[in-house]
Amino acid sequence: MASRFWGQGDSDSEEEEQEIESEAGSESEDEGGDAGGRAGNQNRYLKVTNASDSDESDSGQRVIRSLKDKRNEELKITVDQMRNAMKINDWVNLQESFEKLNKQLEKVVRVNESTTLPNMYIKALVLLEDFLAEALANKEAKKKMSSSNAKALNAVKQKLKKNNKQYENLIQECREHPERFEDDDVEGKDVDGEDDDEDSDADIEDPEKIAMSESEEEGDDDEEGDQDGGAWEKKLSKKDKLMDKQFLKDPSEITWDIVDKKLKEIVASRGKKGIGRIERVEQLTFLTRVAKTPAQKLEILFHVISAQFDVNPSLLGHMPINVWKKCVNNMLLVLDILQQYPNIVVDTSVEPDEKETQKGADYDGKIHVTGDLVAFLERLDSEFFKSLQCTDPYTKDYVQRLRDEPLFLVVAQNVQDYLERVGNLKSAAKIALRRVELVYYKPQEVYYAMRKLAEQAEESGEVEDAEAGEEHQIADDNRGPPPFVVIPEVVPRKPTFPESSRGLMDLLMSLIYKYGDERTKARAMLCDIYHHAISDEFSVARDLLLMSHLQDGVQLMDISSQILFNRVMAQLGLGAFRAGLIIEAHGCLSELYATGRVKELLAQGVQQSRYHEKTPEQERLERRRQMPYHMHINLELLEATHLICAMLIEVPNMAASSYDRRKSMNRTFRRLLEISERQTFVGPPENVRDHVMAATRALSKGDYQKAFDVINSLEIWKLLRNKEHVLEMLKLKIKEEALRTYLFSYSSCYESLSLGQLTTMFDLSEQQAHSIVSKMMMHDELHASWDQPTKCIIFLNVDQNRLQGLLFQMADKLSVLVESNERAYEAKTGGTLEGAPPRRRGDGQDSSNMGKWQENFVSSQGRQGGGRSGYSGRGGGSGRGGGYQRDNYQRDNRAGQGSRGGYGGSRFQDGRSRTQSGSMARGDGGARMVSLNRAGRG
Amino acid sequence: MAEHDLTALMARHMDCHLVFPLLEFLQERQLYADEEILEAKIRLLGGTNMVDYAMDIHKSLHATEDVPEDMVKRRTEVVSRLRALEEAAAPIVSFLQSPQLVQELKPDKQYNIHMLQERFQIGPDQIEALYQYAKFQFDCGNYSGAADYLYQYRALCTNSEKSLSALWGKLAAEILMQNWDVALEELNRLKEIIDSKNFSSPLNQLQNRIWLMHWSLFIFFNHENGRNGIIDLFFQDRYLNAIQTNAHHLLRYLATAVVVNKRRRNMLKELIKVIQQEQHDYKDPITEFLECLYVNYDFDGAQQKLMECEQVILNDPFLGKHIVEGNFITVPLRDEFLENARLFIFETYCRIHRCIDIGMLAQKLNMNYDEAELWIMNLVRNSKLDAKIDSVSGTLIMTTNHVDIHEQIIESLKNLNTRTHLLAKNIVEPAQAAQQAAR
Repeated sequence: MASRFWGQGDSDSEEEEQEIESEAGSESEDEGGDAGGRAGNQNRYLKVTNASDSDESDSGQRVIRSLKDKRNEELKITVDQMRNAMKINDWVNLQESFEKLNKQLEKVVRVNESTTLPNMYIKALVLLEDFLAEALANKEAKKKMSSSNAKALNAVKQKLKKNNKQYENLIQECREHPERFEDDDVEGKDVDGEDDDEDSDADIEDPEKIAMSESEEEGDDDEEGDQDGGAWEKKLSKKDKLMDKQFLKDPSEITWDIVDKKLKEIVASRGKKGIGRIERVEQLTFLTRVAKTPAQKLEILFHVISAQFDVNPSLLGHMPINVWKKCVNNMLLVLDILQQYPNIVVDTSVEPDEKETQKGADYDGKIHVTGDLVAFLERLDSEFFKSLQCTDPYTKDYVQRLRDEPLFLVVAQNVQDYLERVGNLKSAAKIALRRVELVYYKPQEVYYAMRKLAEQAEESGEVEDAEAGEEHQIADDNRGPPPFVVIPEVVPRKPTFPESSRGLMDLLMSLIYKYGDERTKARAMLCDIYHHAISDEFSVARDLLLMSHLQDGVQLMDISSQILFNRVMAQLGLGAFRAGLIIEAHGCLSELYATGRVKELLAQGVQQSRYHEKTPEQERLERRRQMPYHMHINLELLEATHLICAMLIEVPNMAASSYDRRKSMNRTFRRLLEISERQTFVGPPENVRDHVMAATRALSKGDYQKAFDVINSLEIWKLLRNKEHVLEMLKLKIKEEALRTYLFSYSSCYESLSLGQLTTMFDLSEQQAHSIVSKMMMHDELHASWDQPTKCIIFLNVDQNRLQGLLFQMADKLSVLVESNERAYEAKTGGTLEGAPPRRRGDGQDSSNMGKWQENFVSSQGRQGGGRSGYSGRGGGSGRGGGYQRDNYQRDNRAGQGSRGGYGGSRFQDGRSRTQSGSMARGDGGARMVSLNRAGRG
Repeated sequence: MAEHDLTALMARHMDCHLVFPLLEFLQERQLYADEEILEAKIRLLGGTNMVDYAMDIHKSLHATEDVPEDMVKRRTEVVSRLRALEEAAAPIVSFLQSPQLVQELKPDKQYNIHMLQERFQIGPDQIEALYQYAKFQFDCGNYSGAADYLYQYRALCTNSEKSLSALWGKLAAEILMQNWDVALEELNRLKEIIDSKNFSSPLNQLQNRIWLMHWSLFIFFNHENGRNGIIDLFFQDRYLNAIQTNAHHLLRYLATAVVVNKRRRNMLKELIKVIQQEQHDYKDPITEFLECLYVNYDFDGAQQKLMECEQVILNDPFLGKHIVEGNFITVPLRDEFLENARLFIFETYCRIHRCIDIGMLAQKLNMNYDEAELWIMNLVRNSKLDAKIDSVSGTLIMTTNHVDIHEQIIESLKNLNTRTHLLAKNIVEPAQAAQQAAR
């Protein structure tokens, strides 16, 4: 009732209020016995009677205590001033008040003739401290402060720190049990202060007892009621024994009404000051035992669970682990009830009847109880996630915590089963997603381990439970009276896992695909792809990704889904690498590394940015989306994979195009290479990057053995499941690329080269070498041909010298220029040039492609402004040509990264052709680029 | 060779009736035990009304004269149902059987329906009965009747769903009657509808496309212009996507068609791209052959695969169609395939060689030396091959013609000139004309 007034903290206005209340209360006095919405009123009334009681008793002493009163009054006024100052953020005033407060304190203590400090003072300290912390945290507001204000703030900060040291214990106590201090506040006027908690408790909880006595033991006189109430009250606040006694005494006397009333009251107390969160949970838990009907028990259980979630109010922290575990047990209990009494329906839509839960177990109609299992479960999951986030991954706690995973899985499984049974498949899909998200990142081995753990849990379960602070549970059971509604454990307490993680995933996936909403489906799909990728099914994963078109819409998804997408891409890259698909792996990873913020993209740590300060909110947000350690993708492995792929692609590429540097596949790699080339001294490689750079140097000379040795010496390979296999593959790839690089670089020095020599040089089989060389010949990369009888490569000396190479480039650029001129003309006149020769490059262009072209052209035109005449025009033009090519190249690159080339986009377009033209065009851009170069050279 | 048999995969996408020809073929090739195939046939017939046929098979399978009870029962059921349907459809059937009356039908559907209703008391119910009747006829194996009725039905039907399934029925009937020309027409009609219709889900449309492709195989490998048709159809983006999504095995037919078709050489590149993408999902000697030849340039491997290809073709119901000429049985497709494949190998081989030993070549081409020399000579003479035979050393020497770099540069710059000139002319002339006009 009083929360409003307490909130304002004007304890001196209390008396007035009480008077007002008492009037209001008296009206409702007659109806006092009513349950439900009346409870509040009644409370008030009762409270008033109580308060007046104490008033009466006080009145006799008032004269005597006038001095103390005065002092106390002063103190209170000061505190009020402080509060006001806080409201308007006036630190100057606050500083003064604080000093005054300290002075007054001395007086008060002297007058009170006691060593204890007034609770009011401690409370003020606490308040001040909190406010200070808040002010300090809010940096922006701090900046805005006037200088005097800021100065005062600092002064207060220091003083408070010094001052608070003396009262550390008290403050601590106050924080833990604010109600105690609150209570004292009420009685602040009796400076006796030393009053027992009991009394004060009794005062507050009096309404309770009277309500009880009225409704329950009508015949009893007040005193007895008092006693009872006191007993009850105490028990609720941790003095259970008395309470027990009371209930043990007369279990039959407890009716549905009492329990319901009590429940409403406790629920109404939510968020009030002075009610310990944990206490609330305990109170409610007790109520579950005395609940009269299953439906009521269920209702109370829901309240217990939400109260348990309330235990930790902050977004950053997680709920205590033992509370979490109890919460899990409660969920299971809920499910037990639901299973046992199928006529109880849980939903949020129907507003249940006032007396709905009164219907007993034998009632055969539908009983509606408000609650949302899905929300509970999701909260449970996120609490679990958070607790893992907050725990140091290198401690035993973390492992312990991880072992709780089956616990959660069992609840999730049961909830899902229940929802499926009820027919709420949409929600079931949501739950399924939660389960998927716990499983998807586990490779088969880890999955087996979890499965084994879950199976063992039965034997060790008891032990572990006891260990893990389950004594509460057991103790509770022993202490409390036997619950009125006994619910047998019908729901399985052990998760059942299919043989393989794949099986589990498939099971859940099919449910989600059928009934999930868009986001659920998208996330589930990503998880599925991830799982395929880690189980070495790259092609399946790739097809799934392409079919889903997730990469098109990922920008629009929420951040955590984007992170998931990044993780998927990383795993796809690793999967492709393990499968020996270097180009695909490179495509997946290079985008991830292009920004240089891998950690951030994968949510595996925060990267400090040099140029950009983050606000505390941003930082907090970021921290909240971090992945727990056990879900991390090894960054070193990822980096090594990326760089090695880049090396294998880039080194021959560099050797092939010694004239034009711009044709680079991977900028990150090029940049790193340049940095390492600039170094004066090259030490032995230390990190992954150094290793790959050393290998690159060796490879570009065609020294495959050294390149492989350097890479082989990396530590991280031991993380791979089939290490030998991968290294074997890698060695072969390195040999192949070394051969290609060698031929690119040195072919001009040879007239002929025998196949035998090549095979010995690069330790390749004749067939392999032949195939590689043939491929190069076919693709016009190597101007040579075989001499079959002697098995020799005969080189044709058609290599261009530098001048010629530049001329070719110029020709290319000029033709681009001419073409854009023609297009400009066409755009202007609307007609085609008559008699113009067919464009060399225009062959395979579709209309969307033209669109791109024009767009490109128009934009560059805009940029160029009116540079039309003479030399400047031409210069600008050629620059533009270059720009175009680069653009084109990037586009090609991007297409490759996103969907691996032209084919990616255009696959699986059936009926969903939104993106078709776009990606087709991209692909074409790439194809055009290639054909252009070839036309130029050969 | 049963491992490359696709019948099981294909049957999934076909009508019961269409599977019979496949099973017949398998029976002939004796890839599987006779009993198995007969069993399969009986099971297949369970889905149709051809009970008599099922009885016959049953007799031959178990070598008895007894027929299981349920088959007899089913037969009477079928007959009675046939009666009922016949009755229901009688008015419209009799109407359609008189040519004069049919003359009165006009292209306007609404008019027809109205007219029928007015003058002959044939309402939508009767028209519906016609459809049921036709379906039943089809199930009984009376394809020509079914095809006729369905044709008429389509002229009168207003429900697009029904009309579509009638079209499917018509197509199946025409295929089974081996009227390839008509079937091709129906196929194209159906394709248009599938492509233009709004399906409830993309998945549905995909499924329809896949069916269409499977059914079309009958037509394409029998119709004289089918080899172009299959390439045209399958290479359409949507159909290619459908293949890649859910019917990888169709790549075999596409690959064969491309290899055999000389004029569609340009599709080869695209085909290989697709094959490479799908190599994890589908693989058979024909696709592997192309992969060996055009991805890995592994000529020995290609040779090896070519041998397997022959078996695959012979055992495939569509590819292995044989023609009896007098005493000879030829499989035309096999011969064409081998010939073309050989040419492929040879061409590629020549492109990257300067000097080839004819003896080795002959061995690779599965010919003897003289044959090979003759073959090469023919190629050279037809100027398909730019090479000379050195008969002393027994080698083939390719003449390489490399364009001089200067020429290349000049070539690439030459047309710039004309193009710019043209452009300038086009811009300047109107301007001059305008000036003159102003003067």
